[in-house]
Amino acid sequence: MKNKRDGNMKSKIYSVANSMGAWLIILILIVIMSFINSKFLSVSNFINVFRQVCVVGICALGVSFVVLGGEIDLSSGMGATFAGCNAALLITKCNVPMWIAILIAVAVGALVGAFSGFIVTYWRIPSFIGTLGVQYIVQGLVLITTNSMPVTNLPDGFLFLGRGYIANIIPVPVIIMIIFFGVGAFLLKYTPFGRSVIAVGENAEAASLSGLKVNLTKMLMFTLGGLCAACAGIVMTARLSSGQPSSGADLGLQALAAVYIGGTFKGSMFNTLAGALVWGFINNSLNLLGVSAYWQKVVLGAIIILAVLLDAIRARVSAAK
Amino acid sequence: MGITAENILELKKINKSFPGVKALSDVDLELRKGEVLALVGENGAGKSTLMKILSGAYKKDSGSIIFDGQEVDIQSPIHSEELGIAIIYQELNLIQRVSVAENIYLGRYPKKNGIVQWQKMYSDSEKLIRELGLDINVKSMLRELSLAQQQLVEIVKAVSTNAKVVIMDEPTSSLSQSETEILFGIIKKLRSKGTSIIFITHRLDEIYEVCDRMSILRDGCYIGSREVKDISKNEMIEMMIGRKLTNQYPVRDTQIGEVVFEVRHLADGDNKVKDVSFQAHAGEVLGFAGLVGAGRTETMRLIFGADKKTSGEILIHGKQTVINNPRDAIKNGIGFVTENRKEEGLFLRSSVKVNTVMVSLKKILKKGLYFDFKKEKEYAEEYVKLLQVATPSVNQRVMFLSGGNQQKVVLAKWLLSDSDIIIFDEPTRGIDVGAKCEIYEIINQLVANGKVVIVVSSDMEEVMGVCDRIIVMHEGVISGEVSKENISQSIIGRLSVGG
Repeated sequence: MKNKRDGNMKSKIYSVANSMGAWLIILILIVIMSFINSKFLSVSNFINVFRQVCVVGICALGVSFVVLGGEIDLSSGMGATFAGCNAALLITKCNVPMWIAILIAVAVGALVGAFSGFIVTYWRIPSFIGTLGVQYIVQGLVLITTNSMPVTNLPDGFLFLGRGYIANIIPVPVIIMIIFFGVGAFLLKYTPFGRSVIAVGENAEAASLSGLKVNLTKMLMFTLGGLCAACAGIVMTARLSSGQPSSGADLGLQALAAVYIGGTFKGSMFNTLAGALVWGFINNSLNLLGVSAYWQKVVLGAIIILAVLLDAIRARVSAAK
Repeated sequence: MGITAENILELKKINKSFPGVKALSDVDLELRKGEVLALVGENGAGKSTLMKILSGAYKKDSGSIIFDGQEVDIQSPIHSEELGIAIIYQELNLIQRVSVAENIYLGRYPKKNGIVQWQKMYSDSEKLIRELGLDINVKSMLRELSLAQQQLVEIVKAVSTNAKVVIMDEPTSSLSQSETEILFGIIKKLRSKGTSIIFITHRLDEIYEVCDRMSILRDGCYIGSREVKDISKNEMIEMMIGRKLTNQYPVRDTQIGEVVFEVRHLADGDNKVKDVSFQAHAGEVLGFAGLVGAGRTETMRLIFGADKKTSGEILIHGKQTVINNPRDAIKNGIGFVTENRKEEGLFLRSSVKVNTVMVSLKKILKKGLYFDFKKEKEYAEEYVKLLQVATPSVNQRVMFLSGGNQQKVVLAKWLLSDSDIIIFDEPTRGIDVGAKCEIYEIINQLVANGKVVIVVSSDMEEVMGVCDRIIVMHEGVISGEVSKENISQSIIGRLSVGG
């Protein structure tokens, strides 16, 4: 009898832990860090972490759709840089009104995504290779248009998107990110598009035989990936106060890492947010502990592997049940 | 029986079970030195399982294997190869991007001091190929060869190991007439050298041409062996399928109505489906019988728009209907319960609920924009109840359901989408007897509601049990049609092998 209750307890804890996923890692991290470092547990530090993950978070949201649909997008980081630099160039060099410049930059970003989607879907190029190629093409375009020079002198209204605060406490990019995740989660859960993405990612053949538009779904998810990357790029440029041609070099891979750490496969977009936050909190903790930036890379790399390993073990355990 | 010097291989009381299925029970088999033994039986009779035990791909549950006078316990494919058993599967096990010679000597390249001796490999394989009377360039990449030539390379590979027993699992299914003759030439050469061959085929004529003896399996049991020269084709078919019909097929009394569905001159340009025309009536269960590879599944995929047809018309209620993809088919009320439910029908990691509504997403939209989860749940629960799917809840992942219940979920998907013409491809494959009966009852209900049901099945008893009319296909064309009154297994059997 007692044993049985223990077993129930165990399986209950297990299932709660399982559904929490990456949020559990964050929770554990917060508890441990609160004991080790007094500066960690404060509103301002937490807001700081959220602010730091905004760019990666928005970018990762788009990448989530691509990964859920069974593909991969390596080009999102360069897509972000491209959009940021384009907007900056349009505003400063061509005197285009700010919002129109942003609109154009985001539209071009979505087009880049659509192009990736096109070559993957219709030319049947594996997405790893296809988007790798797109990444270099876009990087080249960025270097050509900016002549490899930072684009500065952005208006205050633009900078507000990356550096502003609402009510003097909530950073504007955090609000942008939360809106994006709200919309993204809705798209994934409540719309035929989201359902199609999951279906195509799980079993493209069955999806096609169920009458879903497999090719259109793939095109759309890459387009959405490009659009999110572009928006992330606008925020990034506003934060840096300038369009930096080299700024997004690592962003695409960080976004992918966030998707995998978060375990987005389990079907919730908020897992991606958790993945991005794990990244942010670990960075923050290591900074507070005075770990050198070089060692931080080592730790972050290990976290990626461990998070995915944990997922694989969890999957094996639940399959064995 | 007993151990005699002339037997190279003896199997005694071999048993093998898979979860829920007894694949082989107490199967005996003898193979004499230097003979060609035909192993025949219906699909699912256990031929492939038995051969996979010999090749080390499966392990037997019990029974003994005596090879060359010694009892052996085959551990792995490598062990089987070392003993001298070579197997040629239906699907090719070759590497496309390397040369013919490398494929022949894969894993046992001739080496000297650890360095591959390419010249020796080329000349050795060329000698082998010429000995067998073939004309294949050993240096050409495998992918440059035709499928039939690749099949012959597979055979050369088997021969090159100097195997004492060569097993061929439907080797002629992808060969043309002349290539088949080349293969028979090879088989006769091997036999004269004392090699023993187990030859699995569905083409009974080939048995007369090249085999000495035949052994028959049915439903995982050994039925018997005969000298080929002493047995007629009809006796063969009877031994393959002959079993008293038990009535596991619920009776129905449905009025068959007018023609609802018609196909005219369907072809795929790939020679799998050459020219198929038929009609189906409201309230009718139309069966498609034939051997694996006869083009039945391919025909259904063309009808459903899953593959591109090169010619042919589809008429629904007498009206020409354009079907270019599954979406068109679904819009016109066609549902397709595919042969491989796991690969083509289901989203295994998703829930019963999600699978049920997959074709009918529009039905659960609120204001045409977003999902109404309450409706989704209601629909799913309605069909779970209707089809008596055994699942704890509609939120259960489909991967945790049994085969029969999974099949019902596929069915729920098509019923919810209001299909009027439902194609079942192997509706009861891998499903236990009880669930089979339930599926048949569902089919009866469907036709009672005036729907058209098309059943493709390789289980002859099933086709005869559930269908009002049976169309038999052979090599991409309809070789005959049998109405319920005239149904007999031997007629269908004869039509399946081309009349």
